[in-house]
Amino acid sequence: MSIPGYSYEFKHDHLLSIEDLSRLDIEHILDLAEAFAEETRAGRRPEPHLKNMTVINLFFENSTRTMSSFEIAAKRLGADVVAMPVAASSVKKGETLIDTAMTLNAMAPDAIVIRHSASGGVKLLSRKVDCAVINAGDGTHQHPTQGLLDTLTIRRAKGRIEGLKVTICGDILHSRVARSTTLALHLLGAEVTLCGPATLLPSGTEQWGAAHTTSRFDEAIEGADVVMMLRLQMERMNGGYLPSQREYFRNFGLTMERLRKAAEDVTVMHPGPMNRGIEIESIIADSKHSVITEQVEMGVAVREAVLKLLAGRRV
Amino acid sequence: MSRTLITNARLLCPASGLDEPGSLLIENGEIAEIGKVDGDADVTIDASGLCLSPGLVDLRVKTGEPGAEQRETLETASRAAVSGGVTSMVVMPDTSPVIDDVALVQFIANRGRETAKARIYAAAALTKGLKGEAMSEISLMQGSGAVYFTNGDWPVADTSVLRRTMAYAASCDVMVASRADSYSLSARGVMNSGARAARMGLAGLPREAEWIGLSRDLLLAETTGCRLLVDQVSTARSLEMIRDARDRGVDIFVSVAAHHLFFNETDVGDYLTYCKVNPPFRGEDDRQALIDALAAGEIDAVVSAHDPQPPEEKRLPFGEAAFGAAGLETVLSALLVLVQDERLSLLDALRPVTSSPASLIGVPQGRLAAGLPADLILFDPDKPWHCEREDLLSRSLNSPFDGRRMVGRVMHTIIGGETVFQR
Repeated sequence: MSIPGYSYEFKHDHLLSIEDLSRLDIEHILDLAEAFAEETRAGRRPEPHLKNMTVINLFFENSTRTMSSFEIAAKRLGADVVAMPVAASSVKKGETLIDTAMTLNAMAPDAIVIRHSASGGVKLLSRKVDCAVINAGDGTHQHPTQGLLDTLTIRRAKGRIEGLKVTICGDILHSRVARSTTLALHLLGAEVTLCGPATLLPSGTEQWGAAHTTSRFDEAIEGADVVMMLRLQMERMNGGYLPSQREYFRNFGLTMERLRKAAEDVTVMHPGPMNRGIEIESIIADSKHSVITEQVEMGVAVREAVLKLLAGRRV
Repeated sequence: MSRTLITNARLLCPASGLDEPGSLLIENGEIAEIGKVDGDADVTIDASGLCLSPGLVDLRVKTGEPGAEQRETLETASRAAVSGGVTSMVVMPDTSPVIDDVALVQFIANRGRETAKARIYAAAALTKGLKGEAMSEISLMQGSGAVYFTNGDWPVADTSVLRRTMAYAASCDVMVASRADSYSLSARGVMNSGARAARMGLAGLPREAEWIGLSRDLLLAETTGCRLLVDQVSTARSLEMIRDARDRGVDIFVSVAAHHLFFNETDVGDYLTYCKVNPPFRGEDDRQALIDALAAGEIDAVVSAHDPQPPEEKRLPFGEAAFGAAGLETVLSALLVLVQDERLSLLDALRPVTSSPASLIGVPQGRLAAGLPADLILFDPDKPWHCEREDLLSRSLNSPFDGRRMVGRVMHTIIGGETVFQR
């Protein structure tokens, strides 16, 4: 499959961070992903770009949805997929990440998709292997395919990214999604506002491309074209970072009343899994504004595109 | 009577301000004459093009001995030391077992004499087991040769314990060294807190932790009269706090790790674990302030903060890797780079690694004067070199200087009149 209109060489060996990508890189991935998405919607299977290739899904953190999304994407392109959830890995027996990497590398995979609890863990592994490495989330650092799928979902909903007002609300401090999505949206010309409790707002968010950072959700949502709610870890409640769930919902929960302050055709997003009634009212999650299930759909398409560009490049 | 004559050297002694060409005669392990020395010698060293200065006195070195010899022994650390120009080094008490009683202080001294090329001194634990609960036998260990007292990387959390301990230390006239830190603020951090850490998704070590810990330590030094060495200052504001305390007459001294004069937080780069140290590399403003304070004579000691870690502790994701960097072989060069950059004079660069730390711990070396031990180095201040970890002599090779272009090399190290290293 090729995208009509232009050709573009994607020159990266790995996908570790949105920071490594240019605007053209991102647009190329999104265009390719969109073409994959349309084929799937039309009921067609894509060409087996990864036939006879092996993709290893190495997940040191549990993640049903991201691992499944990568697995489906790789299988749609004809790859053999080996799933390695952490419980089955030698890390439990004391092996270091680098040792694991070198062992897996000796098995000559074409791509390794990795999620690791340590920021920078995926980068460390990428230095030790010969194949393409795709970051499926490293600590609180980056989750680049999530950033890309969010961007693609918005582009499809709004027809553009340039000039959009996007508000991302929740636990920014611990969110790799916020870091990746903000960077991607900024590169494509959106105006991103990050919002959350002061305890969950890190400094220097302008370096990620955030135009504004605030703890006042009612102001942040004013006129927003897109509102993205983030998942809040329950263990952050009760005195750690926040007083209580109900206080959080009062100040940072997405309610219908708040949503009316946003643009009329506002798009609502959430990377999932959602805490309904804490981050977002159920009625909004299921409303016409919500593109939450389309985010999941675009996730597969983006991962198809990334796998094709990285593993497929090695043919 | 053995006589070694070093000729044609540039003689440098920060204590006396000596900086002139000349010769130096060593007799029976001591400096016999300095200046224009004539006469016979058993050995003559032509030091043309080289500087001759006292050997370095390093107040902060960790080894793994006893308990973790795979990291470093006194012998391997001393090999690294003499190649870097360090002739006397003080080892930290956080070994296993902790150096918290007389026998262990004596063990370090004896083991050092038996195995090490450099002179070895022990800093003893301020509290038993470094637990911060009960003060150790300060006076007895002082009598056994402990040169100062510290809780190492574990600042005493209980302020009342620290207050009592400092009051007692003051009565014994010993120096207490304290890492300024507020552990409850810094416990989870792995690099300097701020925009960069946030972007990298790493937990921060906030500057506030140093300031809060420091303000407590300074107040206690003031009220107890304890002689306090503020161990490894890393921020600009800490220097201001120390200036204020000095203005009030508080008896305090300051050390800075050589790597903090060289690196800032951006050097962490792509999660380089060799740059994971505690206190962390701070911002560039902080680094510049440390250099300015050094040039102004406000820093009493530049230390290597040598903290060797084996590969299995460093070849990990940044958050999981151990803190610590090897430093014995790079401390002088880190200073000489500043000389090359015209930020420091040679004498100002040498003072905090020779006479000043020697005075703090009360040892005679660290200066060029007749009758003192002939612990000397000959170095080329302009010699460029490339730091490659594989070439380091430390047992652990975790140097943040790995791959860096450096300037200034030790060519010859003499301890007690004997050549212990030659390049």
